[in-house]
Amino acid sequence: MLRVSALTRRYGARVAVQDVSLVIASGEILGLLGANGAGKTTLIRAAAGLLPPDAGTIEVAGVNLWDQPVEARRRLGYAAEEPSFYEELSADEYLAFVAAVRGMEPKGARERAHALLERLGLEDRCGEPVHRFSHGMRKKLSFVAAVLHRPAVLLCDEALEGFDAAGALEAKSELRSLAAAGSAVLFSSHVTEAIERLCDRVVVLHGGRIVRQLERAHWGAPERGPSPLEREFLTVAAGANP
Amino acid sequence: MSSMTRARDATEVPFRDLERRLTRRRWAQLDLRLRVELVALALIVSGFLFWQARAPLDGLAHRGGPPAVVLAVAVVQVILAALAGVLAATRRARALRVGPPGPEWLALPVAPERLARHLAWDARQAGWAIGVPAAGVLAAAVGLIPAAWELALVAGSAWLLSVSSRLGAAVGQAWALGAAERRPGITPLACALGATSRPRRHRLRAATWSRTSPLWALVRKDIQLTGRLSAVARKAATAAMLWALALLAWGLPGEPALRHSAAFVLTLLAAASLAEWLAVLSGADPFAVLRGLPVGLAAVWGARFAWALLGLVLVVVGHAMAAHELSTHALQVFLVWSGAATLGVATLGVNYGVTLFPRADLAQRLLGLALGLAVAASIMIPLSGWVVLWMAVIHSARRLTHWHRLEEA
Repeated sequence: MLRVSALTRRYGARVAVQDVSLVIASGEILGLLGANGAGKTTLIRAAAGLLPPDAGTIEVAGVNLWDQPVEARRRLGYAAEEPSFYEELSADEYLAFVAAVRGMEPKGARERAHALLERLGLEDRCGEPVHRFSHGMRKKLSFVAAVLHRPAVLLCDEALEGFDAAGALEAKSELRSLAAAGSAVLFSSHVTEAIERLCDRVVVLHGGRIVRQLERAHWGAPERGPSPLEREFLTVAAGANP
Repeated sequence: MSSMTRARDATEVPFRDLERRLTRRRWAQLDLRLRVELVALALIVSGFLFWQARAPLDGLAHRGGPPAVVLAVAVVQVILAALAGVLAATRRARALRVGPPGPEWLALPVAPERLARHLAWDARQAGWAIGVPAAGVLAAAVGLIPAAWELALVAGSAWLLSVSSRLGAAVGQAWALGAAERRPGITPLACALGATSRPRRHRLRAATWSRTSPLWALVRKDIQLTGRLSAVARKAATAAMLWALALLAWGLPGEPALRHSAAFVLTLLAAASLAEWLAVLSGADPFAVLRGLPVGLAAVWGARFAWALLGLVLVVVGHAMAAHELSTHALQVFLVWSGAATLGVATLGVNYGVTLFPRADLAQRLLGLALGLAVAASIMIPLSGWVVLWMAVIHSARRLTHWHRLEEA
């Protein structure tokens, strides 16, 4: 699970995140809602170990992120809002590198990577250098790299923005199955519809502070899974594909 | 007709304005240091050509008088102008093959002829670099021919450069358009530009999925990047070439002391290039990728230090095999000297690259400064350069533990 305690992060005089505490249990998908500039990305980047906090602590599956960064990152997956890669490597090479650094068993890692790429519609492009990828394809690759090792804690920062409808459905399905297997997922988005259908609980961030926490029952959540329009699209897409 | 004229008039001014702005901005975006370096480089190149051309032209002036000098200078100017034309042609053809700089031109309401003129202007800019050697040769004729003839040569040279660049750009366009797939009803230029905006598939070799430590995964990734990033590949190739030249120096004719010195100096230059390559490799690591993965300092630093160790082994083994003429004692001293220098310089490159991430440019500057200081110290007080070098290595190592706290610039 992920435990963030009294986290504060400033950029010069500006406080981006102030005294934020939250816990995400194993198997839970927590939605992080907030307007632009509310501090969502800062909170997630701090939780991913990319921004050292000015105050507070972060525990990833019981390991303090800044005391044992390597151990903590073994248990962590991070899908960035603006992902970066080794642009000259192919998607396949990039994922092979990530899997090797994570110490994954090569055959299993390769099979899982290719299964995920296929589900997201990226399989036939995985041999091309990443710098040729569109924005949506880059986001999908970042997502695959983040979930490849089935992390104990997964941080998704606007992770599904830019996905096509079929890819987004597959990604949400993967998130649900990871949560069902015990992963704690922090899912940030400014699209309330995605959070409504996916998350078990929501925290609302405003001005760098948590201003509201809502359980799923509070917002009269719709059914999990595809919306009626998504179902219609999937039917058409399935018919179009031989 | 009148609407076409209006359309041409409407785009003429914005394009002229764009070209003026581009010229200014391209110069302004170079930092002061780079501008000074470029000016110095231009002066060195033209000065070198002046030095090379002056004596032969002086001989010609004595034998054939000023007309012989004018003829020789004019021939050189024609050759240089032809070179400018080739540069413009290749730049123009490349721009049409892979896509010209600027916006999606086909999405703008611009007449193909005006767009072609703008792209030709962009291609011609490369040809003006030939003005630097041309100026050196023209300067070499000063005093050997009457001033009026000299002025005529300068004006003629500028005219030739301009004409040749225009001609080259036109040839480059014709070449690129000839190779582009034609479509009925669409101008050849639009066909060529349309082809460049279509993404081309480019598949790489299948990835190797293997069980390995993070350190070796990083080493393998560094090898892949070196093969694909031309800036990184150039550094590695320079190091390898200088190292090969250092070994070949043992076969130079002349005094043994000269061979000895040449081998040592080339080894130092190879070590500096190796260090630059290692610093640039660190700069190629995207922040969020590496800092988000479970890799520690040992793996990140060790993956680059492994190359420093390999450099040490290659230098020692290579020189031990090539330096037959040295006595055993002299060879031992040479190997210790060159090996220690290679290890020290390369380690300094690793430390600066890792700690100054993502500013590979700063890492290279600091590296150059430290090595320059070490050389200057050695010239002033023998052996003191070693102290400077290893103090720099120790000092740079002190920041290594903070590598993971670095933030994006």
